[in-house]
Amino acid sequence: MPAIGKIKIRLPRNIRKGQVIAVKTLIMHPMETGFRTDKKTKKKVPAYYINDVSVYYGDTLVNHSDWTIAVSANPFMTFYLKADKAAPLKIVWKDIKGGVYEKTVQVTPR
Amino acid sequence: MQDRKIRILQILVVPVAAVLVAAMFGTRARAAGKAGYTVEELSPSMSYEEYEKRYKEYYGDATARMAEEGNPADFLLDDGRDLANKVEGSKGKSCASCHGRDAMKLKGAATHFPRYDAAIKGIMTFPMQINACRVQAMGAKPLKYESYDQLALTLYIKSLSNGMPIQVSIDGPARPFYEEGRRAYYKRQGQLNFSCAICHIQYAGYKARSNLISNNKHHTDHWPSYRLKWGKTGSLQRRFRGCLKNMRAKVPPYQDEELRNIEFYLTYSNNGDLIQVPGMRM
Repeated sequence: MPAIGKIKIRLPRNIRKGQVIAVKTLIMHPMETGFRTDKKTKKKVPAYYINDVSVYYGDTLVNHSDWTIAVSANPFMTFYLKADKAAPLKIVWKDIKGGVYEKTVQVTPR
Repeated sequence: MQDRKIRILQILVVPVAAVLVAAMFGTRARAAGKAGYTVEELSPSMSYEEYEKRYKEYYGDATARMAEEGNPADFLLDDGRDLANKVEGSKGKSCASCHGRDAMKLKGAATHFPRYDAAIKGIMTFPMQINACRVQAMGAKPLKYESYDQLALTLYIKSLSNGMPIQVSIDGPARPFYEEGRRAYYKRQGQLNFSCAICHIQYAGYKARSNLISNNKHHTDHWPSYRLKWGKTGSLQRRFRGCLKNMRAKVPPYQDEELRNIEFYLTYSNNGDLIQVPGMRM
C-alpha cells in the first residue's frame, strides 16, 4: 500500500489579520526521475513526478510553481502568505501521469 | 574362512572409525569456535562531549528541524491507528478488542522490547510480537516484515510509548542471548574485516568518506524512522542490513537470530534513552 498523494498542511495557530504567515506543506510522492534503473529487472523506472503546484487563496491564484525531476521524493514546500481575509486556502499538486491531489484548509485571521 | 571374515571386518571397521573420529574432531572444533571466541575489547577514542561537539559542527541540527516541520513518517501513524482498529482474521478481533480503543492500553509496552521469549527460545522483537499476537489471538495472517502495513502498525503502537525510557532486562535466560549479541557486535566479518564496534565504538566521531560515524548512544530509540537516503520509512534491522552490506559481509534475512541478538544487545546498551518515534535520519 504505497501512500501516494497523502498531504499535510501546517498553519500557525494564532493568525492576526494582515500577518505574513508561513504555510508548510508536505506531500507523499515517489518523484521518479526516469533515469533510475530497477536493480532486478535492469529496466529504467519510468518518470513519475509532480510538475505543477498551484495555491488558491479564496478565488485568486496566489502562488504557482513548475517542478521538475530535480525536486526530491516526498517534497516539502514552504511559502509565505499575507493573511488579510478569512478564506479557504486550496493547494493543488498535479503529476505527469494525470494525478491531481488537493487539500483545502481554512485561514481565519482574528 | 576365518581370515577372510576378519579382513572384511577390518575393511568395514577402519573407515567407520575414521569417520567417527573426524566427526568428533569436527564438532569439537566447531564448539571451540563458537564458545572460545574472545571479544576484542575496544574503547572510544574520544569523550562523548567531544563526539557531540564534532557531530554538531558537521551536521548541525538539520534533521531535527526537518522532522519538526513535517516528518513523512507521520503519515504512517494515522494508517497504523486505523490498522489497530481494523477487524481481521478468523476470530473477528482487532488489536482494539483486547487492548482498548486505538490500542491505548499498550502504552509503555514497547519499552521492554526486545525481550526473551520462552516459547521461541530466543529474543522476541517488537514486530515479531505483533505478528505472534495476530496469529495466535486474532487468527489473522502475519504481516510481511518491512511492508507498509507492518511498519505502520509497529510505528503507531511504539509511538504510544513516546517519552518513556527504554527498560530492557537481560536477567535470567536472556543472558546468553545478550552475550551472543555482544559477540556478534564485536565480531570482525566481511571482506573489509570490520566489526560493528570498530566504527561505532572505537572510531565514532571520525569520518568514513564524507560521513561522520555515529556513536552507539541513542542508536535504537527512534526506530522505525524516516531516512532521507531511502526516501522511505524503515526499521532498525534494515539499517543493520545496510551496514553489513557495506562491510561486504553476509547479509542475514529480517528477524534472523543474529540480527535479533544484535538488536537486543544494542537496545540494552541504550537503556534509559527516551523513545521518540518516528525518527528522521540522514
